[in-house]
Amino acid sequence: MKGKSRRSGDLRRSGKPILSGNRQSAGYQLSAGKLRRKRDPVWIHAVLLTAVFLVGFPVVFALIKATQNTAQVLSPSMRIGSSLLYNAGRVLGVYKLGLYMKNSFIIALIVTVGKITLSFFAAFGLVYFKFRGKKILFAFIIITLMMPTEVLILGLFDLISKRPALSFSDFAAWFFNPAKLFFSPIAYGFGWSSSYLAIIVPFLASATGVFLFRQHFTAIPRSLADSARIDGAGPVSFIFHVLIPMSWNTIGALALIQFVYVWDQYLWPRVIVRYDVNQVVQVGLKNIIATGDSVYWGEVMAAAVMAMIPPLIVFSLLYRAFMRGYALSSNK
Amino acid sequence: MKRIMLVFLIAVLSLSAITAAGSQETETQVKEIYFWHAFSDAARSQWIQDRADEFNAMQSDYKVVLETKGSYRDTLQAAVLADKQGTPPHLVQLFEVGSQLAYDTGMFKSVGDIGSFDTSDYIQPVLNYYTINGTVNSIPFNSSSPVLYINKDKMVEAGYDADYVPATFGDVIEVLEAARARGVSGAKFSVNLHAWFFEQWMAQQGAMLVNNGNGRDGRATENNLNSQAAINIGNFFAELSRKNLYTYTGKFEDWGGSDAIFQEGQAMLHITSTADLGNITSAVEGKFNLGVGFMPIPDGTERNGTVIGGASVWVAKNHPVDELTAARDFALYMTNMKNMVSWHKLTGYYPVRNSSIEALKAEGWFDSDANQIVAFNQLLATKVNAATAGAMAGTLLDNRTIIETAIQKIIQGGDVKAALDEAKVLSDAKLKEYNANF
Amino acid sequence: MISNGQDDNAIFSSRGLLLLFLVPTMLILLVFLYFPAWHSIVLSFYRNNLFLGTRKFIGLENFINLFTGPLAPAFIQSFFQTLVLSGLIVAGGISASVFIAIQANKKIRGGRIYRMLLIWPFALSPAVAGTIFLFIFNPEVGIMNTMLDFLFSIKPRWLDSPYLAVMLVVFAAIWKNMGYNIVFYLAALQNVPLDPLEAADIDGAGSWLKFRRILLPLLSPTTFFLVFTNLSYSFFETFGLIDILTTGGPVGPPGPLDNTGITTTIMYKVFQDGFGGSSNMGFAAAESVILMILVGLVAFFQFSYMGKRVHYQG
Repeated sequence: MKGKSRRSGDLRRSGKPILSGNRQSAGYQLSAGKLRRKRDPVWIHAVLLTAVFLVGFPVVFALIKATQNTAQVLSPSMRIGSSLLYNAGRVLGVYKLGLYMKNSFIIALIVTVGKITLSFFAAFGLVYFKFRGKKILFAFIIITLMMPTEVLILGLFDLISKRPALSFSDFAAWFFNPAKLFFSPIAYGFGWSSSYLAIIVPFLASATGVFLFRQHFTAIPRSLADSARIDGAGPVSFIFHVLIPMSWNTIGALALIQFVYVWDQYLWPRVIVRYDVNQVVQVGLKNIIATGDSVYWGEVMAAAVMAMIPPLIVFSLLYRAFMRGYALSSNK
Repeated sequence: MKRIMLVFLIAVLSLSAITAAGSQETETQVKEIYFWHAFSDAARSQWIQDRADEFNAMQSDYKVVLETKGSYRDTLQAAVLADKQGTPPHLVQLFEVGSQLAYDTGMFKSVGDIGSFDTSDYIQPVLNYYTINGTVNSIPFNSSSPVLYINKDKMVEAGYDADYVPATFGDVIEVLEAARARGVSGAKFSVNLHAWFFEQWMAQQGAMLVNNGNGRDGRATENNLNSQAAINIGNFFAELSRKNLYTYTGKFEDWGGSDAIFQEGQAMLHITSTADLGNITSAVEGKFNLGVGFMPIPDGTERNGTVIGGASVWVAKNHPVDELTAARDFALYMTNMKNMVSWHKLTGYYPVRNSSIEALKAEGWFDSDANQIVAFNQLLATKVNAATAGAMAGTLLDNRTIIETAIQKIIQGGDVKAALDEAKVLSDAKLKEYNANF
Repeated sequence: MISNGQDDNAIFSSRGLLLLFLVPTMLILLVFLYFPAWHSIVLSFYRNNLFLGTRKFIGLENFINLFTGPLAPAFIQSFFQTLVLSGLIVAGGISASVFIAIQANKKIRGGRIYRMLLIWPFALSPAVAGTIFLFIFNPEVGIMNTMLDFLFSIKPRWLDSPYLAVMLVVFAAIWKNMGYNIVFYLAALQNVPLDPLEAADIDGAGSWLKFRRILLPLLSPTTFFLVFTNLSYSFFETFGLIDILTTGGPVGPPGPLDNTGITTTIMYKVFQDGFGGSSNMGFAAAESVILMILVGLVAFFQFSYMGKRVHYQG
């Protein structure tokens, strides 16, 4: 808290959560210019209610259908049924969604923590150290923003799934021969396709993370760093006593973004993961639908609803930090 | 701030709890045998699960673990990729058109190479398909062929005998037009838009799907998708569609959807697999009288018979010998005489063993329901030749999509010849690409 | 974006520590992003069947096949479909969310509740969105057709008549991303200074004019940011939605759109060609190279536009 109070006014102003209204800007009205409070125009409520309905209906619908039994679920009935526990039990047990959710949760946690840690330190290096080639290094990181996993999925697939070389000399013959390493497709890989590593390690570094932290660090006044220097604080003590306490918003924002990103991952696990033991929740959800002849929609809806609960919880916990640390500052 | 720190604390704690719990799971001595199959519906997957449970209870060294991959395509692809990644399952249920591709990957071992494999009990048409280069490559499991399902009530309304079975495409159209003229509701023909039926109609005409003896004399290099036999099939769809006599869900390979159309009385004639006989019979009970007949064929052609459709169980070779033996033992247990009888009764797939058929006959199963015997007769009347042995080519999976696309174009009013020509060019291009790998 | 005065805060100089901080990130980016990206490009010059494990250098053949010959029409169709789908998703999503966000940001009763109810779909995944829509719009048992059948006696075939399927995918994609867009617009509206709006009120400007002249320019950095994140979303993340909802189909009506499924994007085609059918990784790699170029172009516009119009404060 102390650290935060010393930050520039600009960042402080952006620290208002949007839910709690805003003295500064919520006062204007497009249709009626007067600032004094008057009756709300009905049409605004109509528009907003429609929007809320459109946004919310599908999920409310899924929630209700998740409680119904096989007969009700196919009828237009929107009554809350009594089969929620049965449906959820089937989905968690028979369709292994419990396993998939556990997998996704572990992976999302590791990737989130790993990404935040690595990008925090990388940004720290970029901001608080003097060295040559800093711009190039930063560009090297930022360019990866335009390299989503999906476009390089074929190369990544080979890299992760090809088996490692049997001997070091085989590997060296490939790796240390530039012609082979660079101009023939991947000969050896990590052989990770039957482990979590395949869906964890490639995602541990984050350009978004480095960018956000760097932005945040550069906004911290130099005087702070100087006074830390004068106090004789080394980099490590500076990080733990000054920087981290000042960075909780950025950390929280990044945690939300990354957790949701990893939880939502679909294409990569779909192509790389072979065994159910390692499968993630989104692909598991698809497997429940692909039941060929008859689909038990009540169970499918229960699965869909369950699959969205963890990110929703994370969202509600971290959303204030997300607002302050990302939405308000990054897109200006 | 505190909130975020709390979140992190919770995160770290739960993570360590999970890893701790995970590491406590002690490694058991039981070796796991993985069997990947394509069924995810409750009835069939539960049947397989029950067999696995029985097998696991019978001995204690191995444990069969089942995983479903949802569809035949996905099962094949997942298995091959798993092998490329060094972790193949032991047993894989593969469908007939994937045979060449599966064979070419070299990841499978012919079952005959794991101990002795007695093939004498299997019915001939089934063995024909799964015999590659003279040896039976995989263990026959679930086999079926298409038959015509008839709504007898509508047939009578249309002025025909209740037991009348249209034998040719011409008959089908005649019956439907007569029914329409009499004001019979749902005077339509329904078949799921699946290339499997196209493949069957090719075989019925004695036509090869690909060259080089249907890919069995040598590697296929050309697809016969615009041959006269193919055009006959295309014309049938064109005429049905032009006369508004055809109905389908609009989706490719929509088995359940097209069955529903027939069951709801929105179609008078319907073609689908014998494997659906059980389901359809119970679904239409009390609604209308169900008839079953041989699948109609193009006019002026001699009935050559159907290709065996369905799947067999393949054994992946990259495993220790003892596991392979155990895997094979499980597959043979699952498909033994007794189990094939119960499988047939549950699903309508053929019992692939002669002994199972005898057992069924002995208990009077076929007398109880004449519809069951029709499917058998169609299979047993099949002539043994290259056309009914089924095609072998690495790109038959691609072909299915290509054929379905072409038929959909024809249904939407496209020119038959043009659609099939295009299909041939495209499928040949794919095949050429594929063959260039060798 | 790279702000001036980079070294303002550079107070440390320990080489070892610096390496410790930077190397992990660099290494992971190099090994798991740059290297596979480069190898995807290399792969596009090979004939590579994943199932057979075969590889052969074939020069530009894959690229030639993208644009001429029997395999080309399907790719070209998917290329244009990607552009059209993305255009619809971005334009529809952004205009709807800017409109809703402006209304929700007004000082009205229950504003806080409205805002809360509008942003939670942030946590939705494409696969979940696809699943729910698959049920709602199921032609036989979906609630949508049950209602339409009851009200108007029609049962549109949402999933398999070409244009309806496109509409459905676009609608579902917009719906899924609504929460994300609205969050950013609401955040941006918090920072809109009051003065220009008050001045406009005094001038008696109409609400459309105020929106056009004042609000829209003030929101332009956010709009700009969202256009690019939404583009990337519609290129890549819609994969899960499409895979579950339509599996890329149905085939379009006879004519130029009947060469592949009408909701097949390039990304979906890369998946189909590389991992599906009889697998042609080299060809799929060539397709993904085209996709890379497309992303590169978008990024180029982003950076150059950003330099000119939007006052970025790094």
